[in-house]
Amino acid sequence: MVKVEIVNGRIIPFPTDNDRTDEGSELTFNGRVRSIEDDKEITHLEYEYYDGMAEKELRKIAEETIKKYSVHDLFCKHRVGKVEVGQVSLHVVIWSKHRKEGIDAMTHFISELKHKVPIWKWAIHQDGTKIPSDCTHQ
Amino acid sequence: MIEVKLKCFSQVKYALGTDEMTFELEDGITCSELETIVRQTTEGKLKDIDLRIAINQEYVKDDTELKDGDEVVLIPPVQGG
Repeated sequence: MVKVEIVNGRIIPFPTDNDRTDEGSELTFNGRVRSIEDDKEITHLEYEYYDGMAEKELRKIAEETIKKYSVHDLFCKHRVGKVEVGQVSLHVVIWSKHRKEGIDAMTHFISELKHKVPIWKWAIHQDGTKIPSDCTHQ
Repeated sequence: MIEVKLKCFSQVKYALGTDEMTFELEDGITCSELETIVRQTTEGKLKDIDLRIAINQEYVKDDTELKDGDEVVLIPPVQGG
């Protein structure tokens, strides 16, 4: 099963699940906003997204990932709007029978997300200027 | 003639200074031809930026023909995560 959400506001993590008896691996990834963007200090980022297509692409990648790596469940929340330095912008949890397929699935999912999901960062600098970030990591 | 809506994000929005534009175009025009028009409008501000194209919320090939009423997005490198 996959769950994907675009969230405008602080991310509430998916709860750890002690009732699962078939999955030996529960893997969590939290991506946080760094204080430096494009070599400059920022106060926060603003995440802009293409409403509709961002959710659609995120779901497509999540479904493709669980099929390709035979993991059981993949849950993901991506935050949009203003995100302060240090706060979580991306939260992913993957449950699988063994850790290896979970770790491989996580790497693949985040890499695909960074290549295909129409979400962009605007950097807000200390002097208040707002510019599109140049930062891309595939 | 056809009319299409261009939605603008990130560097495209920054270069054009707007969220949205409407274009009246000749029948049979392709996505890449619209991209050329947009790049010319921005006077080189998008020079080093790779753009992919989405029509009605799906990625498409550059030679896809536009249709009346299409919603088009020129997608700069995405930055989720």
